[in-house]
Amino acid sequence: MFRYIVRRLLQGVLTFFGATFIVYALMFANQDDPLQALAGERPVTPAVRQYLTDYYHLNDPFLKQYGYYMKGLLTGDLGQSIGRNRPIKDLLMDAWPITLKLSIIAIIFAALLGVTAGVVAGIRRAGVFDYVTLLIALFLISLPFIVLAPMAQYLFGVELKIFPVTTGGNPSLYKLLLPGMALGTVALAVTLRLTRTSVTENLRADYVRTARAKGLSRQRIIGVHVLRNSLIPIITYLGVSLGDLMAGAIITEGVFNIPGVGFNLFQGIRTEDGPRVVGFVSVLVIIFIITNLVVDILYAVLDPRIRYE
Amino acid sequence: MSSSQMEPVATSVAVPAPTVEEVERPGVATGKPRSLFSDAMHDLRHNPIFWVALVLSLLVIVMAAFPSLFTPNNPADCQLNRQHAGPNGWAIFGYNFQGCDIFARSVYGARISVEVGFLSIAVLGTIALLIGVTGGYFGGWADAVLSRITEIVLGVPYLLAGIVLAKRLSAGQSSGIWTVVFVIGVLSWTTACRVVRSSVITAKNQDYVAAARMLGAGHARIMLRHILPNALAPFVVVLTIALGTAISTEATLTFLGIGIKPSGDGSTISWGLDISGAVPHVRESATPLIVPSVFLSVTVLSFIMLGDAIRDAFDPKLR
Amino acid sequence: MTTDIKTEIDFLPETDSSAALLEVRDLHVEFRTRDGVAHAVNGARFRLQSGQTLAILGESGCGKSVTAQAIMGILDTPPGFVTKGEVLYRGVDLLKLSEDERRRVRANKIAMIFQDALSALNPVFTVGFQLGEVFRKHLGMSRADAKKRAIELLDMVRIPAAAQRVNNYPHQFSGGMRQRVMIAMALALDPEVLIADEPTTALDVTVQAQIMKLLAELQAERNMGLILITHDMGVVADVADWISVMYAGRVVEEAPVHDIYARPAHPYTKALLESIPRLDLKGQQLNVIKGLPPNLTAIPSGCAFHPRCRYARDACRVDPPPPLYETGSGTTAACHFWKEVRGGE
Repeated sequence: MFRYIVRRLLQGVLTFFGATFIVYALMFANQDDPLQALAGERPVTPAVRQYLTDYYHLNDPFLKQYGYYMKGLLTGDLGQSIGRNRPIKDLLMDAWPITLKLSIIAIIFAALLGVTAGVVAGIRRAGVFDYVTLLIALFLISLPFIVLAPMAQYLFGVELKIFPVTTGGNPSLYKLLLPGMALGTVALAVTLRLTRTSVTENLRADYVRTARAKGLSRQRIIGVHVLRNSLIPIITYLGVSLGDLMAGAIITEGVFNIPGVGFNLFQGIRTEDGPRVVGFVSVLVIIFIITNLVVDILYAVLDPRIRYE
Repeated sequence: MSSSQMEPVATSVAVPAPTVEEVERPGVATGKPRSLFSDAMHDLRHNPIFWVALVLSLLVIVMAAFPSLFTPNNPADCQLNRQHAGPNGWAIFGYNFQGCDIFARSVYGARISVEVGFLSIAVLGTIALLIGVTGGYFGGWADAVLSRITEIVLGVPYLLAGIVLAKRLSAGQSSGIWTVVFVIGVLSWTTACRVVRSSVITAKNQDYVAAARMLGAGHARIMLRHILPNALAPFVVVLTIALGTAISTEATLTFLGIGIKPSGDGSTISWGLDISGAVPHVRESATPLIVPSVFLSVTVLSFIMLGDAIRDAFDPKLR
Repeated sequence: MTTDIKTEIDFLPETDSSAALLEVRDLHVEFRTRDGVAHAVNGARFRLQSGQTLAILGESGCGKSVTAQAIMGILDTPPGFVTKGEVLYRGVDLLKLSEDERRRVRANKIAMIFQDALSALNPVFTVGFQLGEVFRKHLGMSRADAKKRAIELLDMVRIPAAAQRVNNYPHQFSGGMRQRVMIAMALALDPEVLIADEPTTALDVTVQAQIMKLLAELQAERNMGLILITHDMGVVADVADWISVMYAGRVVEEAPVHDIYARPAHPYTKALLESIPRLDLKGQQLNVIKGLPPNLTAIPSGCAFHPRCRYARDACRVDPPPPLYETGSGTTAACHFWKEVRGGE
């Protein structure tokens, strides 16, 4: 187990350096006029040019620049946002808790509803419930998220008026409910299908027959034996789904006006605020790598067969 | 002894080597064995979803090619004094925030989406085919290297990478179709590649390939005649689904402002643009949001459902 | 050693102590699939007494496992249905009991072990957990007590270092050890009947012998009834008292073990015996039973074995199928021409 963790940690570190390098290289390498690229379509005055050149060490060789960037990244100094004129780190600190709340709502929504519906569909395989939920799940997964989020906002916010339409600054948990559920919808559909398949497979497993021969009740067989085995792929998926969640958050926060990480990214793109985009994307990549690592370790905890490799 | 257990393998040049396994239906006392292919075609023909998806997909393609068949109006003809006006003649859904004909815009929007979609799958299909066939057929360290590359690309969060890449490529000028096609193609080939690779590996291990090699066939001939036909069916399935996803991604990137960028005269039309433009004004009028959303959804869903239906029909595990 | 802890469960007061321990009468089980109805069991019958070992012999698909599952009540329903017959445990028809009552009979009175212990044990729970579960759920024991009992059980089946191994997972045991764990789990509540469905088929020959020896010892200690389901005639010779041969869902011969080997009275039994490879006949062609077992959705009329039988006559091809003729005291054979079979070549 220990060796497994160490191995994964090393892999994670490697990926970390690799990914940040790629992000950095994509943004800054071989630019004819890197300053213009940073500033986007804004004109750059000589004074600003000088400042930016010094700040970003643009007269240094590329690798050295990367070094400064990494140093900044690791010490938390992400530079200055051009559009908002604040340190990017501060923007991140403000935005972070909001997106966290949003994501947690999304995951809990997806997990609870998805697992429950999936278990029921799995038990009643080929029943009406099964077919209907599978169809709905496929529909939700395939539907472009840029349709789902605005339509959810329109239907539940504007038309039915159940939830507030936008959230504005420092939103309460209640205001984040609708966007959170919209964000979690795809994860919900995938979780449902995963759970259903997993449960169906496990119900056919030999150990279920043994459990019945032991005289265990149906509730125990499904609730303890089958579920424990079925949950392994589900939990690992939910961990991995964070990547999709991040992408979805960009759109969700844009549509619902939530000042989170995604919204900042969205704005940064719109206002051509290069440093902000790079900074936020880098941090998101790091989080992504860390969650993948945690999920891998979690997988070993859940499935004893992996531990002893 | 049941005599239909062994089917002769066709080796003549005119008939290509068997591309699907011949599977007998268990327990039913029919005379001739039914092949997987004929079973699949039978299931497909009777699947209503397949037909609906097929018809809708074709409809969208026609709409993209000949938009004027569907509306005589000019989608770029926007007059502010018609802002959010109601239906009028061919403008069956009224007008949007800028006074443009919603229906006409949605009809003409199909063109960009379909163009980007097909170009993207051409790009991603080529990459997937090259990498998948090379890795699967030659194996060894080539396969190892290519597989690691695939894993790296797979490990990158899709939209984030898309954002960075698109930003880098557009860098200020108005973004054309090719930027989007490139971004989608370069990031989405992994699934198709895996499918190709596993088909190639399965095909490679068949007896008739060994036979062909013994008869002196070179790599190229084997790959073309024996391996590719086997890999074709699942590849087509995954490409069809990828078409739907590519269209969805284009709309998403455009929605975020890093896909197709609008040119000043309003002649660039994309569903993504219409949707992102409609969101801030949804309280005044929901139609400008709903119509392009429906067009986009129906298009994406038809291609995905089409691919899904074909895949399910050909999946021997679901028998 | 465990008899002092065993609690009497009186939920079946109507048991008849003079009746056979386990008796199956005219059992019919069918599977309704989309390709037709498969008649898996067509009139099976058995009788088992305490301390006795009954071996059910037959090829794959002859219905022996299905019969066992029907006795235990763990048949997959749907698509499997018991359509006729009685399963009498000490005179009480288990098929007429409620699911709750049947559940309590399982593991307490009648237990079962399966072929592949790796897939038959839950991979994500420790062996101690799975053993202890039986005590916790049937007897309401605490976790600590259940764990102690689990260690005792592992000792009983001769697994070394039981106190440490109780915390191991199934995949950490070898094949033979895992089967011992399964046996321990089945015998936890001191059942009166143990059904072993191909317990050694997945094991090496030497390990096979050890497991069979263990089963025999445990059976003797407890005066348990043992039903051994197998297709391997070699395994059966040492262990069984009585043999029932099954074909196409029917019992076709019943006799004590020596009679079956010495004087088989049914062509199928005879063919099975002849197909065992023998060292002293080295160099000669192996005997096989020509043909394949019948498709259970389309069982031949008359005697189900007639397409493959060298004694087949016209009478064999028409219904009704041959009944079980008395061939001796308590022995039977379902063949119109059993005398010829027993007497002849």
